[in-house]
Amino acid sequence: MAVGVEEEVKSLVNFLGLPAYKVTTHGDLKVPQLQTSNGRTLMGLATISKFLAKSSASNGAKLLGTSPEEHAEIAQWLEYRVTVVDRSVEKKDVQAMLKELNSYLLDKVYFLGFHLSLADLVIYHGLHPVMCQLNFYEKQQYQNVSRWFDQVQHYPGVQQHLPKVVFVRNSLYTSFDH
Amino acid sequence: MGFGNIKSKDGQKQLNDFLADRSYIEGYVPSQADVVVFEAMSGAPSADLCHALRWFNHMSSYKKPEMQSWPGVKQPLGNYGPKGGAPAAAGDDDDDDDDDDDIDLFGSDDEAETAAAEKLKEERLAAYAAKKSKKPALIAKSMIILDVKPWDDETDMTEVEKSVRSIATDGLVWGTSKLVPLAYGIKKLQISCVVEDDKVGTDFLEESITAFEDYVQSVDVAAFNKI
Repeated sequence: MAVGVEEEVKSLVNFLGLPAYKVTTHGDLKVPQLQTSNGRTLMGLATISKFLAKSSASNGAKLLGTSPEEHAEIAQWLEYRVTVVDRSVEKKDVQAMLKELNSYLLDKVYFLGFHLSLADLVIYHGLHPVMCQLNFYEKQQYQNVSRWFDQVQHYPGVQQHLPKVVFVRNSLYTSFDH
Repeated sequence: MGFGNIKSKDGQKQLNDFLADRSYIEGYVPSQADVVVFEAMSGAPSADLCHALRWFNHMSSYKKPEMQSWPGVKQPLGNYGPKGGAPAAAGDDDDDDDDDDDIDLFGSDDEAETAAAEKLKEERLAAYAAKKSKKPALIAKSMIILDVKPWDDETDMTEVEKSVRSIATDGLVWGTSKLVPLAYGIKKLQISCVVEDDKVGTDFLEESITAFEDYVQSVDVAAFNKI
């Protein structure tokens, strides 16, 4: 699990305008745990974020998608976050992941296409440490990821405790097509 | 300067480049700027302009009334897009991106400045390349002073000089010479010459001169100066 997953859950709670929940992490892998109001404990980032989005009357419906297709896609990206993003530690894994995301985001503004969803929020948090590590050359190399990331971090309410990642608006290197 | 003619392929290409790292024409939310550009377009851009097409599809996903409610004030089409030093571009720079100006340490949003800087850079590069290409045309020359020593005091020094001067090759010009007394009446011939570095080397000179073995005992390079 990524570092700061408690913070991540808290900022999602904030973003959704929900009352504060008790968030802890469990075990060596730092699996987040959240205590719901009726005393049950939820484990795992995907579960918790889905629960939170469902709980929020105002923002939640939009974040979870409106059609069955969108529900399914969000579920897939939540899984991707937990199984791929969080487990890409080696440089080559990270690069393969960024390459994959870069080609996926080529024709999309957000993960679901044209509106912000839970998938964006969860992957944004997961990718934040990765993006902080990238140099400007790599940021341009994965331009579509950079554009998406910059867009999401500027979405009102998303950024919260995370530092802003700086992107340059000018092409520094000219040898790329996309 | 904007995108030029947005209906033309060229204009759409500019739009495509502009949108490569942007989701919207201005800032991070859809605004009237998007509406203006979107309405100016005659149809979807071709599939190879993937960034423009993405933006176009994004805009198409909104309904007309929705677009009316977006923030911003409509401006002429030419005021949007890459700023190429048009006078209109100077004023509207700080409109919308109030939140990223302070953080954008390296990136300048001022495309005009970049374009100008890039142009200057290109000019300098061109000037440098031109200068560099001229350089090899300059022929590197050296002035060499040779000491030619005879066998003994009976050697006819005028004959020595005549022999040396008889060596003629491309890129070799003989200069002045004088006789310098050594000892016991023996004089050495000190002769200068100018050579083109590529064509004549000191080895060649020494070999050629010592070839007159009746007169010449040895040859030394007394001085070697690049000109």
